[in-house]
Amino acid sequence: MSIMIPTRDAAAVPSATPHPRPRPRRLRRRFEPIAGPLRVVLLLVYAIPILFIVLTSLKDPSDVISSQSSFLFTPTLEAYTAVLANQGLFIAMQQSLTIATGTTALTLLVAIPAGYGLARVDSRITTIGLGLLIVLQMVPQTANVIPLYQIFGAWGLLDQNLGVIVADTALLVPFATLLLRPFFRSVPEALEEAASIDGASTMRTFWSVMLPIARNGVATTGTLVFLMSWGEFLYAVNFFLSPGNYPLSALLAQQVSAFGINWPGLMALAVITSVPILILFVFTYRLLREGLTLGAVK
Amino acid sequence: MSTDLTVSGPARRTPAPPGRAPRSGARWHAAKRKRLAFALPAGIFLLVFSFFPLAQLARMSVSDVTARTLNQPWEFVGVDNFVGSAAQGSLFPTLGNTIAFVLIVTIIGLVGGLAAAILLSTSNLLSAFVLGLMVFIWALPPVVNGSVWKFLLGDAGLINSVITGVGLTQDAVPFLYDDRFALLSVAIVNSWAVVPFNALVFRAGILGIPAETFEAARIDGASRWQEIRYMIIPAVRPTTLVLAVLTIVYAFRSFDFIFVMTYGGPGVSTNTLPFLSYLQAFVRFDFGMGAATAVISVLLVLVLAVIYARSVRAEEANS
Repeated sequence: MSIMIPTRDAAAVPSATPHPRPRPRRLRRRFEPIAGPLRVVLLLVYAIPILFIVLTSLKDPSDVISSQSSFLFTPTLEAYTAVLANQGLFIAMQQSLTIATGTTALTLLVAIPAGYGLARVDSRITTIGLGLLIVLQMVPQTANVIPLYQIFGAWGLLDQNLGVIVADTALLVPFATLLLRPFFRSVPEALEEAASIDGASTMRTFWSVMLPIARNGVATTGTLVFLMSWGEFLYAVNFFLSPGNYPLSALLAQQVSAFGINWPGLMALAVITSVPILILFVFTYRLLREGLTLGAVK
Repeated sequence: MSTDLTVSGPARRTPAPPGRAPRSGARWHAAKRKRLAFALPAGIFLLVFSFFPLAQLARMSVSDVTARTLNQPWEFVGVDNFVGSAAQGSLFPTLGNTIAFVLIVTIIGLVGGLAAAILLSTSNLLSAFVLGLMVFIWALPPVVNGSVWKFLLGDAGLINSVITGVGLTQDAVPFLYDDRFALLSVAIVNSWAVVPFNALVFRAGILGIPAETFEAARIDGASRWQEIRYMIIPAVRPTTLVLAVLTIVYAFRSFDFIFVMTYGGPGVSTNTLPFLSYLQAFVRFDFGMGAATAVISVLLVLVLAVIYARSVRAEEANS
């Protein structure tokens, strides 16, 4: 889903400052006997699942038993009232928010300076560092959860938000660093040189020259890290010893793999889990559309 | 797409010959090197929370570790965990599943991604809407997407209603609990989830082709198919290489969809290597064996990483 490996260096990477990008071509409209219908097919393939999440969440459990695919039914908010009546839901929302916010903050705190450092110095150490980050990013999460479970047990980090936040951060720092690096790299070095001649310290240059210019990169990375930590459930399911502390994603994962699923209730929970993502998405779509392609496109 | 308007990197600055370097330049250079220290916090963090755990994983894989002995000294057992895992009969089918899964997701993910990108690289309202919808779905938690597909693929779900409704089959198809279909079903849903990302990246590559090129081709009477075959596909070739590796890694790491949709079943039919290690460690509480399986998957990742590094270097040498 979300692995990006910047392949080339600055020479191939678009600038972080919005520079004039070739406008999408306005092709002369021509009759498209194949492309038109295919576009509609694509729309259906992606819209129908979303439609069914919402439709099912508005059904009565008895409607779902008779036919799961009907469009004709009397909508009811019963599933939502049932889900919202559960005290545990608010705790889960709080947990999701705490974990996602904490992970985003900690990841940016660690990854921003790293992305900058690795962008500005070209040495053997940089090459090795980048290689290691790429490898870490490829390692399956299950290879981390097994030893971390033991280590956190020994360090007293199990069953705590901090443990999950730290594990999520370790998972996402390589991704965030590799995504941030090209943004810093495209900032003209002359700018920094000028700041240094004006007597600004390295720290000051980083803080008041580099960061403001690379803010698009920081925003893109922050958004993606938030999205991923919001949906992460493997660490949450295993590090929290009781479902009482689960975030929304873990609650959903637990319920969907149980027997005798209450589909309207589950879909209502899915909608509640997705609404914050929708809000964030509406505000950051433009940013994501440009930023996501940055690392992977040559 | 990728014209760089900025001067950056030492590649573009000619280093002053040693001895004659002006003092300010030398000082600047020294200050520049110091900036590697900015990577130190990340280095330390990853050393403690990523590399140390991986070392611990390696140690676990050659030890007898169960839930009971997890926090006690472990007994060294050599390759017993690996042998035991193979002897239980789930390791080799799992390897086969992993390869099949990765192949299906990679092929559908790349072909579907390119097709979607070509369809959506024209600027009209429908294209813009579909692209936005797809990226939104990509951004949704996998557990949400997995849940809805589990619902749609159920016996009384939409897909079965449609199939039986048009008379394709008499009975509902057991998409998720028949070992002939389960792996394929989960792999297709996984591809569905990765196509938006691939489409977005391919689309950027297509938009990078200068408009004049298309206009010239039109004037020469090229059909849309010829445009795709002789202009778009060659133009996105470097992108394809990178995306292929990313998609392979994505498919290989896949965990969420399997967990939600089939939990590895029925039997071992949707166990992939990472999922098997999870089951061994956290369901059967044999942490040693789970670690051994995880080590195998990490080794495979290392092989992939080397292939990737080489192909990128070869690509760079060519261009």
